[in-house]
Amino acid sequence: MFIYEKKLQFPVKISTPNPKLAAFIISQYGGPDGELGASMRYLSQRYSMPYAEAKGLLTDIGTEELGHMEMVAAIVHQLTRNLTDEQVRNNPSFAPYFVDHTTGVYPTAASGFPWSAASIQSTGDVIADLTEDLAADGAMA
Amino acid sequence: MNNETGNSCPMPSCPDNYGTMPSCAGLAVPYVPFQQTGSKKYSQTDALSNGTLFPGLNLPFHLMVEGSALPSTPLVELQALEFVVLELGTYLDTHPDDTEAFELFKQYSAMEQSAKATYESKFGPITKASAASGSTYRWLQEPWPWNYQQNEVK
Repeated sequence: MFIYEKKLQFPVKISTPNPKLAAFIISQYGGPDGELGASMRYLSQRYSMPYAEAKGLLTDIGTEELGHMEMVAAIVHQLTRNLTDEQVRNNPSFAPYFVDHTTGVYPTAASGFPWSAASIQSTGDVIADLTEDLAADGAMA
Repeated sequence: MNNETGNSCPMPSCPDNYGTMPSCAGLAVPYVPFQQTGSKKYSQTDALSNGTLFPGLNLPFHLMVEGSALPSTPLVELQALEFVVLELGTYLDTHPDDTEAFELFKQYSAMEQSAKATYESKFGPITKASAASGSTYRWLQEPWPWNYQQNEVK
């Protein structure tokens, strides 16, 4: 099971909101190599892992990735607070996101493609899974 | 994972940012160098600001060498201790026989527990369990972690 800690893993304190940047950073939340994908990948792959060392690692890292998800969400949230009408209208990067989600935090890639389990794999094969982990975490740690 | 396959170091003594590889390895599978036992470690603040406890694993984006500058607040001090416990925990998953690392793990876990209790007594509960030990229900009190104010200097 999981127990929540009411604090972030690393401080997030953004003094100047920047919706354009938020439209890019959202991919690290719900994009193909984002933190949501990372947690689901590790926490799903661990069931077919035969080695104790790797069961432990996938469990611990998968859990840590949930904490990373929360930090990235906090970044997006703070980058989009107190926006003016103008800041949204004159922002071709952020406006399409705003149409559907306003300033809610939604797991999507920067392209607008919503988070999909199609971007992760769990094959039941140790080497295949660990190799996929290397590729995904190498793309965005 | 493959201690029994006879890891051997390519050099008489590998620098800390190098790992060991099996001397005889199966074909058609990828290998990753295995982190050496007794790897050098950062202090807790440097670990949190660099995002790793191990200098050998510090591979910064675009080779930008400076870690983040962290404010010195009770929350950051707690986050730094927790980060060391977390990093030692994952290291021990693959190096369970490193007794020195295990001793550090015990030491830092104890420090973290005590720092967390001190923090909670001043600023409110971090876990639901500690919310049960107060005189009133303080779980809902501001700030929530994603709020801008959470990281103000207290």
